[in-house]
Amino acid sequence: MIKKIFLLGIIITSLFIGCSDDSDPSNNNDNNGNSGSNTTTPVSLRSQVLVNWADNFIIPNYQSLSNKLFNLQTSVSNFCSNPDQLGLEEVRENWLQAYKSWQYVEMFNIGPAQQFYYHYKMNTYPANTNGIEAFIESGDFSNLNNPSPPNNASQGFPAMDYMLFGIAQNDSFIINLYDDLDLNYNQYLLDITDRMVSNTDNVLTEWDSYRDSFLASTENNATSSINKMTNDFIYYYEKGFRANKIGIPIGVFSNGNNFPSKFEAYHKQDVSGILGLEAFDAIKAFFNGNDNPSLKHLIDAAAIGDLTNLSSEINEQFDDAYTEFQGLNVNFVEQLQMSPGQLNSIYDEIQAGTVLLKTEMLSVLQIATDYVDADGD
Amino acid sequence: MILKIDNYLKRSTASSKLVVFRICFGLMMLYSMLRFWSKGWIETVYLEPKFHFKYYGFEWVQSLGSHTYLLFIICILCAFLITIGLWYRLSILLFFLCFTYIELIEKTTYLNHYYFISILSFLLVFLPANKCFSMDVFFRKKQYKEIPQWTVDAIKLLMVIVYFYAGLAKINSDWLFKALPLKIWMPSKYDIPLIGETLLQQEWVHYAMSWGGMLYDLSIPFLLIYRKTRLFGFAMVVFFHVFTAVLFPIGMFPYIMIVSALIFFEGETHDKIVTLLKKIIQPFRSLLGISSIENVNHFNYKRPKWILWTLAIFFAIQMVAPFRYVLYPSELFWAEEGYRFSWRVMLVEKIGYTNFKVVNKTSGSSFYVRNGHFLTDLQIKQKSFQPDMILEYAHYLGDHFKSQGHKNIGIYAESYVSLNGRSNQQFIDPEIDLLMQKESFKHKQWIKPFKDEIKGF
Repeated sequence: MIKKIFLLGIIITSLFIGCSDDSDPSNNNDNNGNSGSNTTTPVSLRSQVLVNWADNFIIPNYQSLSNKLFNLQTSVSNFCSNPDQLGLEEVRENWLQAYKSWQYVEMFNIGPAQQFYYHYKMNTYPANTNGIEAFIESGDFSNLNNPSPPNNASQGFPAMDYMLFGIAQNDSFIINLYDDLDLNYNQYLLDITDRMVSNTDNVLTEWDSYRDSFLASTENNATSSINKMTNDFIYYYEKGFRANKIGIPIGVFSNGNNFPSKFEAYHKQDVSGILGLEAFDAIKAFFNGNDNPSLKHLIDAAAIGDLTNLSSEINEQFDDAYTEFQGLNVNFVEQLQMSPGQLNSIYDEIQAGTVLLKTEMLSVLQIATDYVDADGD
Repeated sequence: MILKIDNYLKRSTASSKLVVFRICFGLMMLYSMLRFWSKGWIETVYLEPKFHFKYYGFEWVQSLGSHTYLLFIICILCAFLITIGLWYRLSILLFFLCFTYIELIEKTTYLNHYYFISILSFLLVFLPANKCFSMDVFFRKKQYKEIPQWTVDAIKLLMVIVYFYAGLAKINSDWLFKALPLKIWMPSKYDIPLIGETLLQQEWVHYAMSWGGMLYDLSIPFLLIYRKTRLFGFAMVVFFHVFTAVLFPIGMFPYIMIVSALIFFEGETHDKIVTLLKKIIQPFRSLLGISSIENVNHFNYKRPKWILWTLAIFFAIQMVAPFRYVLYPSELFWAEEGYRFSWRVMLVEKIGYTNFKVVNKTSGSSFYVRNGHFLTDLQIKQKSFQPDMILEYAHYLGDHFKSQGHKNIGIYAESYVSLNGRSNQQFIDPEIDLLMQKESFKHKQWIKPFKDEIKGF
């Protein structure tokens, strides 16, 4: 009897494995009316999505940022060797161009970027102005290597924002500070610029070897790149975009006490809206994939019933928020003083997008979350 | 009738049945507890959270902090003692208490199969599972060949209830006529070798699995009870549970159910298993010098009435409680009033997003709560679609912000839930101050009604 039971167990298990061989691999995926060709299997669609993400978004966007940072580095070194108004203007312009370019990589906190704490070092704001002054006074900047919130906020784009616009009342005072080499402002600006360049190039170089494993990881589990990237996208939309760029400064989480100094590019001021809109462009482009497969296509392939039109709904929600976003004063500090209601209403529109992403999209995609590790029943 | 019952209660069966069950249960628990520990879940589930969600009526159960490890050590130790049958009564009782206490600490980790282990270990406290092939026998120098039939049937009955009620719960319009949620889940299992990209993508497979699952759950108890269909039934048990283990992250549950189903076999099967086990551990046995153990034919309880009544009440509760949902006007899958402890397994794909707004009722100013400050990711996920947790968390937030000096505040939930692939719908009435609401067994008026209908059990 016992032997019979064991034998049976083995037979069944092997039957189960064997049986599944019979199925015809060519007739799959044609029952849910997706837009892809009939030869698209779930895995091949995911492969296409990953290739699109890596080769048309992540790597080129980093490359483009790297180019912009190179220009910035050149102008910074010109300016620092001979500080004048013209040089300052050029640095500022290149900083803004690079900062705009940054908005297209900010959501890719994955792989090497994550490993190097790259994102935290590039754009933790508000800038830690006391920390920056302390570094400058000490003349020793090596501690910037250690990732910690105060150190992260003392470098990257926000620190440059402070260095270029916030260290003195007007341009001639600012230039004076850079003129006096004993004061270390000059050295600090050079140092943090070099760090941004080398940190970015590190990530970009690492992608050469990371790319293959990124593309190969199409399965549906907590650590696969398709799932991690999707989770990162949602996280970025909710935290990096919705909360950091608007929610926190306008006081959504703090009982109406707002913090204008927490807006992105606070010291420059009149570009917060420009950077935010770039970020929104990046979000929309990534979601739709620029005509190649991306989240939109994954949703379309899996959506059934009520949610068949989910990707269009999400796009409509994005567009509504985007249109309202365009109507804002690009100077968010002024916008907050003059008419905070508009910012609150933008926040609500973006939030409505979060609801769609975090309920309906997650339900359709059945992404294994990277944070909840537990048995189900 | 009374005579019949009396006769039934006098019937006896091989004591090896419960012994094999005891050993399997002990080993499974030993492995389960070690597995839970090794995955670091004691840390993430019981130590990291600042706040624990409690079961109604069990708010007094407190987390023991790092002493939670002690609870696990006791459980592991007890599981080992249960396996070897040493101080069986005491160790199964301790296991039941510690395991249940652990489960009561945190509600967001509720799983039907943890509940199953809790009530099964409760049941085992009353059963003579150490009457042969145990260390207790070795020390007491007395072993029994037979035990009352009803003690074995009690376990069978519990298993019948689990399967049958799970089957009943599947008789609903979403499961049978829309193949939901399998139609959502299965295509996402594309990475399972061989069947993932093929069978699991087919709509007819989703329907077949829905209907098959329902028929399986309803029929398996009877297939196991009747001798002629038993082997087939057991084959089904192995197939079904191995299949679910491949498909879903359900941990140890499939294996626990497979070995538990052995209880339905005849005594001779269990005798052979015991003989086999004896052979395996022969070196230890000769070391102990097993000898001079007195053989007694029948084991009888000294005071069976007390135990029988306890078990009768236990089973009455088990059979009635799953139907308590009919007392609520709300849709069961939506509001989850009367949802737990009812063997409703794998029935819904539910995902929610819930934010809490703290409003100063004097000034009208308000702010949103950053859930990540207070809850772990698992807690955030679970609380987002379960009304009792939303309420409990709102009260926790209320206490927190009042202690920070906020006065005259109200807490409102902005909550959206998508159920079985439907568009999301507002879940909690956003106009209701949750601090004014109290937890109770009464219907929660502030849950927005479900805008669709799911017919069935």
